[in-house]
Amino acid sequence: MTDLLGSLIILLGAMFLFSAGLGLLRMPDAFTRIQAGTKATTLGNILVLAGLAVHHPGWALKLGLVIGFVLMTNPVSSHALSRAAWLIRTPTAPSTGADALAEHEAGKRMAREPGRDDDGRAAP
Amino acid sequence: MIKRAFAVLAVALMALVFLGVIGDYVELQALRPLARHYVTEVPAQLGAPNVVTGILISWRGFDTLGEVAVLFMVAASIGLLLKKDSAGGAAAGGRDARPPAGEIVTTGAMVLLPLIFTFGAYVIVNGHLSAGGGFQGGAIVASGVMLMLVASPSATLNTALLGVIESAAGVLYVCLGVLGLVLASGFLDPRFLPKGQFGAFISAGAIPLISALLGVKVGAELSVIIDRFRS
Amino acid sequence: MTTGIPVSTILMITGFGLTLTGLWGMLTHRNIMRIIISFVLMGTGFNIVMVASGYVTGATAPIIDTALGLGEAGARAIDPVPSALVVTAIVIGFSVTAVMLAFAIRLYAAKKTLSIDAFTESKW
Repeated sequence: MTDLLGSLIILLGAMFLFSAGLGLLRMPDAFTRIQAGTKATTLGNILVLAGLAVHHPGWALKLGLVIGFVLMTNPVSSHALSRAAWLIRTPTAPSTGADALAEHEAGKRMAREPGRDDDGRAAP
Repeated sequence: MIKRAFAVLAVALMALVFLGVIGDYVELQALRPLARHYVTEVPAQLGAPNVVTGILISWRGFDTLGEVAVLFMVAASIGLLLKKDSAGGAAAGGRDARPPAGEIVTTGAMVLLPLIFTFGAYVIVNGHLSAGGGFQGGAIVASGVMLMLVASPSATLNTALLGVIESAAGVLYVCLGVLGLVLASGFLDPRFLPKGQFGAFISAGAIPLISALLGVKVGAELSVIIDRFRS
Repeated sequence: MTTGIPVSTILMITGFGLTLTGLWGMLTHRNIMRIIISFVLMGTGFNIVMVASGYVTGATAPIIDTALGLGEAGARAIDPVPSALVVTAIVIGFSVTAVMLAFAIRLYAAKKTLSIDAFTESKW
């Protein structure tokens, strides 16, 4: 019974990982691709490890630690990637509405030095 | 169009060859004689529970020596290809104007760096007991260094010191090999130190020492390579 | 755990599939970065195939611990030689990738584009 449940959870994780790959192909823009790649793969990883923990209950604590490490590292690395992409002015998809980070940076710069312009980006 | 057709043809022919290989392959039912010799002799003669590390460091030690030489060559050629002074003054100006990393990355690096370095050191020194070894641990340490470089873009890596560490580790590795030639029965034979108790931390002759030296060398080398790619 | 098809066949199909994907990518893409990624895919595929060729039916990893005692090591361990060769192969693959990336950086600095159609000096 636990075998079947564990295998089903692992299969669900594998489907999420597949959808991550599909999202990487179909998304229109660098930022949406990063988002699809990170969120879906992190969830897929967690589900595969949780299914394995159901399969082998003796390993549950170690697998829980591994899940914790995955949760700590994946979002940090994708944040660094997307911030770097924004800093070199990667073009966004035509349907993008607002650039929240640009407004946030402009607001910070206004608060620090009221005379200077928004200078956070690298020179073109 | 014609190029695409040729690409399809090439991939199709390779697929045919691979299918032939898969079709003819029969899964092994028992170990081949050489593999059986290795699997039984590594715990008996060398005292190391991890058979793969025992093979890599003692019986196939020349492969490991060649790999160390290839890594050194690659570090040198990347240093030549990506020389900073030919890029001009833009490098110096670029480093000052590089914006600081975001708060998430710096906080994450503060939490994760000790964990990564500890895990890398653990993998290096436990090469003879469980899965791991010099190369794997060295790669983990280098990835920790890369996180450090991403989190603080204005940090500089002391490449001169790392170069000295890497060369010293390489020389010590060859010296251990020559010691094996003098004191035991062959080049890179780790049996000149006592075998110790099976499964203990200090055991298996000189294998932990060689593993640690390999880990230090690979870690320093990969860190230097990663530092060269900055800007 | 019993599978319908032998485990080594599944692994070989996966490995060769990755290799063919990498080969297709190398032949059709024009962007240097995608060619480098396809090369890495090919290398990974071949590494999987090499490890799979050492698998013995119903055996486990060649590490002597609580799962595999000293006496039964000869009977129930997989072939350790391909695994040792693959460790070397992975490191060499990484080194070649690093040199290729350095070349890509120099090529971009020379021509300001990442498409290999711009580099026609070696063509007759």
